[in-house]
Amino acid sequence: PCTRQVRSYFVDWRMLRDVKRRKLAYEYADERLRINAIRKNTILPKELQEVADKEIAALPRDSCPVRIRNRCVLTSRPRGVKRRWRLSRIVFRHFADHAQMSGIQRAMW
Amino acid sequence: STSSVLSTEKDKSTTSTGSTNEVASKSPEGAAETPKQKLLNIIGNMKVEVTTKKKFQQLKTQEIKKQATDKLEGLDSRSSTFQGPAEDAQRSKPLNRELVEAVSAVASSLPRSKEQTESELLAQLRRHEETTDKQRKGGTINIRNVISEMSIKRQSPAQRGVMISNRISLAMEEDGQRLKPDRLSSRSFDSRRYFLSLREGKRLNIFTKAPPETESALKTVSSPTIWDLEFAKEIAAVTDQPPRNGFEEMIQWTKEGILWEFPIDNEAGMDDDAEFHEHIFLEKHLKDFPKEGPIRHFMELVICGLSKNPYLSVKQKIEHIEWFRNYFDEKEEFLQEM
Repeated sequence: PCTRQVRSYFVDWRMLRDVKRRKLAYEYADERLRINAIRKNTILPKELQEVADKEIAALPRDSCPVRIRNRCVLTSRPRGVKRRWRLSRIVFRHFADHAQMSGIQRAMW
Repeated sequence: STSSVLSTEKDKSTTSTGSTNEVASKSPEGAAETPKQKLLNIIGNMKVEVTTKKKFQQLKTQEIKKQATDKLEGLDSRSSTFQGPAEDAQRSKPLNRELVEAVSAVASSLPRSKEQTESELLAQLRRHEETTDKQRKGGTINIRNVISEMSIKRQSPAQRGVMISNRISLAMEEDGQRLKPDRLSSRSFDSRRYFLSLREGKRLNIFTKAPPETESALKTVSSPTIWDLEFAKEIAAVTDQPPRNGFEEMIQWTKEGILWEFPIDNEAGMDDDAEFHEHIFLEKHLKDFPKEGPIRHFMELVICGLSKNPYLSVKQKIEHIEWFRNYFDEKEEFLQEM
C-alpha cells in the first residue's frame, strides 16, 4: 500500500489501481507460478495441495494477473481497446484520421 | 635470438677447437662446417642494425682467431687479394682489420666466388660505416648512393599476367566471395602482393561491439559529497545543449537506452555466460531431495520443464529449485504426519 501521496498523472483512479495491480502481479508472479505447479498436480498428495490452496489464497488479492484490465492508455476506457496499440477505438480513429498512426490507412476494397 | 646464436657459437667453437687440435689436415673442412653455419645465419640476418652487425663481426673474429691458424695459412697464399680490398678500404676510412679478416673468412667458407663475396661484404661494411657516421653527425642519407648499387629486377610477362589476374580475382572476391580454393591457395603463395586481401589488413572495428570503456563516466570517488553532485548537475545542465540535428538526437536516445544499438545485437541485455550443459543437466541440484517418492517424481518433472526453457537464465532456474527445496523443508513435519 502506498503511504505517500500519489502525485503522478494518471487519467483517473481506476487507471491508478490498474497500475498497482500490474506491479503486484509482477512481484508475485514467480511465487504464484510455483504454488500453482504444486496445486495442479496428480503426483503430490492431496493434503499438500490443499495446503498450497490456502497459501495462494493468502496472497494479496491484487497480485493475481486476472484482475488486470487492459485499459486505454490515454483515456482509461476499459472497453473497445485494441491490444496492439493499447488505445481505445475512439482515440485510435482520431489519430489515424490525422495520419499520426504509422502504417494505418483507411480501408477501401 | 642474438644471445642464443652467441651461445651456440661458443659451444661450436669449443668443439671445433678440440677437433682442430687433433687433426690438422681435416680441420679446415671440419672447422669450416660449423662456423660456416653460424656465418650463414649471420649473413641471413644482414638487415639487422649496424651496431649489432658490428658486434657480431667483432665477436665472430674473436672466436675465429682461435681457429685462425688454418685460415691464416690460407690467407697468406692469397695475400695479394687480401691486400686489394684493404687498399680499397683505405680510400674512405680504414676499416677494422678484424672485420676484414672476418670478411675473408666468410668468403672462404661460402661456396660462391670468394673475391666477389669479399668485395660485396666490404662494400656493405663501408656503407654501414658511412651511414653511422652521417647519423652521428646528423647528416642526411644520400639516396643516390643507395639506389645506384641496387639492381632492377626484371618481370617476365607471365608473372605480370598472373598479377593482373590476381587483381581481377580480388574484385570478384569482394563481390561474392566465391573464390575456388585452388585460386585462393595460389594467391596466398604469391609472394608479390600489391593489394590487400579481405582477410588481411588492420580491422576497422566498425561492426564489432564497442568496448564498454570508450565512453565511461567519471569514476566515482569513494564518497561523493552533495556539493560534488550539485556541481556535476550544474555542469550537465550547462553543457547538455539540445541536439542540433537528428543524428545527435539519436545518439542521445541510444545513450539513454530508448534506441537500440545498431547493428542489432540479439543478445543485448542478456549476459548469459553459462554453457548449454548447465541449462540442461540440472540433476545435480536435486541432491538434497529424497531419492524416492512423489516429491522426487515431481522435482524431476520440474527439472525436465526447466531444461526446455530457453528464457530463464541458469541463476533463475537454480532459484526456482531452491524455492521448492525451502517449501518442502517447511512442510516436512506436515508430510511426516501423513
